[in-house]
Amino acid sequence: MNGAVREWLDERVPLADLVGALRHKTVPHHRYSVWYYFGGVTLFLFGIQVGTGALLLLYYRPSAAEAYESVQFVVTRVPFGWLVRSIHAWSANLMVAGAFAHLFSVLFLHAYRRPRELTWVSGMLLLLLTLAFGFTGYLLPWNEVSFFATRVGTDIVATAPLVGDFLVRFMRGGADVTGATLTRLFGFHVAILPAIATALVAFHLLLVQRHGMSVPPSVEQRANGDPSAVRQMPFLPHFLLRDLFAWTAVLVVLAGLSTFYPWELGTKADPFAPAPAGIRPEWYFLWAFQTLKYVPPSVVGLNGEFVAAAAMGAGALGAVLLPFLLRGTPRARRAVVWVGLGVLGFMAVMTSLALTEGAP
Amino acid sequence: MKRQPWWRLTPTAIALIATTGGARAQSPEEAATTAFRDDVHAAAGVTCASCHTGREGRYDPLPRTAIAPLCARCHSDAAYMRQFDPQVRVDQFLQYQTSAHGRRMAEGEPRVATCSDCHRAHGVRRVRDARSPVAPINVATTCARCHGDPARMTPFGRDAAPPADWSAGVHAAALVERGDTSAPTCSSCHGSHGATPPGVTSAANVCAQCHLREAELFRASPKKEIFDAIGEAECLVCHGNHRIEAPVDSGVGVQDGAVCAPCHDDAGDSGATIRSVREGLDRLSGAVATADAILTRAERAGMLVDAGRIALREAREHQVQSRVLVHAFAGTPFTEAATQGVAAARRAQDTGEAAMRDLQVRRRGLAVATLLVLAFLITLGFKIRRLPDFH
Repeated sequence: MNGAVREWLDERVPLADLVGALRHKTVPHHRYSVWYYFGGVTLFLFGIQVGTGALLLLYYRPSAAEAYESVQFVVTRVPFGWLVRSIHAWSANLMVAGAFAHLFSVLFLHAYRRPRELTWVSGMLLLLLTLAFGFTGYLLPWNEVSFFATRVGTDIVATAPLVGDFLVRFMRGGADVTGATLTRLFGFHVAILPAIATALVAFHLLLVQRHGMSVPPSVEQRANGDPSAVRQMPFLPHFLLRDLFAWTAVLVVLAGLSTFYPWELGTKADPFAPAPAGIRPEWYFLWAFQTLKYVPPSVVGLNGEFVAAAAMGAGALGAVLLPFLLRGTPRARRAVVWVGLGVLGFMAVMTSLALTEGAP
Repeated sequence: MKRQPWWRLTPTAIALIATTGGARAQSPEEAATTAFRDDVHAAAGVTCASCHTGREGRYDPLPRTAIAPLCARCHSDAAYMRQFDPQVRVDQFLQYQTSAHGRRMAEGEPRVATCSDCHRAHGVRRVRDARSPVAPINVATTCARCHGDPARMTPFGRDAAPPADWSAGVHAAALVERGDTSAPTCSSCHGSHGATPPGVTSAANVCAQCHLREAELFRASPKKEIFDAIGEAECLVCHGNHRIEAPVDSGVGVQDGAVCAPCHDDAGDSGATIRSVREGLDRLSGAVATADAILTRAERAGMLVDAGRIALREAREHQVQSRVLVHAFAGTPFTEAATQGVAAARRAQDTGEAAMRDLQVRRRGLAVATLLVLAFLITLGFKIRRLPDFH
């Protein structure tokens, strides 16, 4: 029976070719191989987000009058609704953490080098998309904290000269954060961003398959500059089973977090109430939020917040275009490591300062 | 009241200004001029000469007994006052003449309060201006300047304790600490311009301005007739007057310290009613506390118990209602409200217990799932170790 089904499928779908290709595919095996798994973990969490997000869509209602109540209904009345919502929220945070870990591991292992420039660019765009997913999804439960955090977050865009007012109106669907903003961000969160992300993920994976895993320069040197001399691990089954092991471990962590620390719903947003104390964005935006606090109101005659936001934007653009800005010299690679460590340290310090200030 | 130009100052005054940087003490006339600049009268076009005789720079002070009649010249003239505010009242002087202050002043006693003592002489502000000494939040402080000063009160045979007593009560807490301007201050019970202590028979009417339901229940109860017969001042017997503390359930009872104890003992129908009311109050308080505790535990564990919180709010409303119904001094309406409150609290407790059971199910489910996944992980680990060596 099994053989008949396989034969039937083989006649119509080139499965044998695909399996054959995977059987011949190999992955470099060296002391830094463990970092290869973060890409897979991020992809796994993206899959969980798609699955749990689709389930939440069955009940979620994107309007200011019903959004909070619909999430409340999901977590209190729908069987396992609490678990689905909690997994969606926790998985989003783990996905951002996984994407950052993947980014810095690729950066420090210099995997952005020729011919993988476009893999790096598509990966960076995926990271920015992940942050956009976080920003647009944060408002959807329409609770007090997310409402005011979104107001603060979109206010920063308003500081841009000339186009600031247009941009903030475009993001909010009006002058202030209202039900129109919720509907708009919902559209971005469930339609526009997933469409772009799916296309980019496909492109990213295609390039990874095309070029294979990058071998770090230090490993290459030990192999006398010949990447093919580096030990190779078969993708099927060796690497895939290890990937599966990592995904299962992440699943255990995710289930534990969702059960023992269910994501809070908070109180419903009241646009007419004063902003409560301790409003702050999600942890992955905290470093930027804290940086803006230290920026003076005016810098060289321009709005200080705008200057800081523009500098961060320029930094992000530089990061996206990194492979095209660097020479392939060992000195340039060393500079990348130091700059990367500096950025990582700055983000860690700013985040811890924000957490310490916000602590009761 | 005009300030001297600098070229007319004496050498001594110039030396004083030079040595003190100009920060010399103001003369009474200068202080009055400065205060008058921010006065509602100045804004309305009233000048120094409107009230004072004399000439500019040296106006005569007014005798205290003449102040109220002087203010009344304008403030009792409806036609004149209407041009500033068509709604303004013009009966203040009439009321003042009926007050303890006004009657004594009319007898020639200048130490009692007149208009300027409460409103200030210069720098008068509207009552709704929070900086006014007669704004609701400042009234008690203004009255206490005299009524809290034993040196001023003793000659009149008055106790100086009421302001301090009021400050220790629930009304002061509501007004001063919570900023609730609907909470009563001195003038709410005693009146302002017609200030006088309410008599024994009218004290309950004063309380009933706000505590209407309690007053209705009391008046319909057998207590009303008894209190009238023995000349007791209704509310004040149990709650006191100035130092009104938050009522507590333990005040109902015949034990030492309870408010019923001075008149009642454990015997007879009244003793049984008091016991039954107290038991009802305690049962309801206990049910509310138990429900609140379990709902709080469930919430801390991440469970949503909004239905329980709504039921608990209902229980608390019944608790407030049953505490009010104590003023009927009978078992029936109270018992009904207390029973409904206990039932609502039980519903809240049930919600909390269901949430805790649900939490246990979740955790057990997770434990089983985790064991299965761990077993899968271990199997996977073994499988990976047994894979053929790719080296």
